[in-house]
Amino acid sequence: MLEMTIHDKSCRGCRFCLDVCPTDCFVFNEETQKAMVAKVDNCIACLSCTSICPAAAITHRNHHVVANFYRNINFSRRMEKFL
Amino acid sequence: MADAEIIKKRRTLQETMNFLAALSAGIEPILGRGANSMTMSAGRNLGRKFSAHAKTTDDLLEALNEVKRVLIENNCLWGFEPFKPAGQAELVTINAQGSRQILLVFRDCMIRQALFRFGHPQMGSLCNMMYGFFAGSLETIMTKKATLEIKHAGENACLKLLTIES
Repeated sequence: MLEMTIHDKSCRGCRFCLDVCPTDCFVFNEETQKAMVAKVDNCIACLSCTSICPAAAITHRNHHVVANFYRNINFSRRMEKFL
Repeated sequence: MADAEIIKKRRTLQETMNFLAALSAGIEPILGRGANSMTMSAGRNLGRKFSAHAKTTDDLLEALNEVKRVLIENNCLWGFEPFKPAGQAELVTINAQGSRQILLVFRDCMIRQALFRFGHPQMGSLCNMMYGFFAGSLETIMTKKATLEIKHAGENACLKLLTIES
């Protein structure tokens, strides 16, 4: 099952994760001025929150990582000539 | 098919996708919105062609399974699954116009990978090809018009809203 955590000490309270999340997984705790995971069941593991978080405070576990066939070394060697 | 042959075919496909990504990035500034209709039309033709012998049905979930089967049958790396947000009672909802709607999460995507490879933005004309594919495919399977709106384009998955016009 997918797990999503926010490292409390790292969170700067910028709310970027709240803005970017398409399924409203986060809420903002006004008391602590930090983001919190509210609905992990809603997470589609798009990883936009992880990418946008300036403090790299958000981590996902047990999620589907897309098949990146461009990481194939032989393919990359062939593509070097175009870069 | 021998492994070497599969790898060779896959490489050809990857290079084609890279070429398409570069092409779509190139035509967008020139053609503007016209680029979207071109790629949408190409996707729709592909969807119609691939689904020509697919089983016809009016059940949306069954139709989606058929689309999935068609994609796998044609070696397309476009994995998707229905998504039901917490708090929503049913997977399929009805909008104000009486059309059936369902949220789909796209994970493995050839287009996304091709775009990232060369730093092209998402939600461009090439992403519209997927809309075209679904429109063409569901037009054949359900004999109804369909739209696929991109709600969110993420780094690891995209969320889209499929609407079947009543």
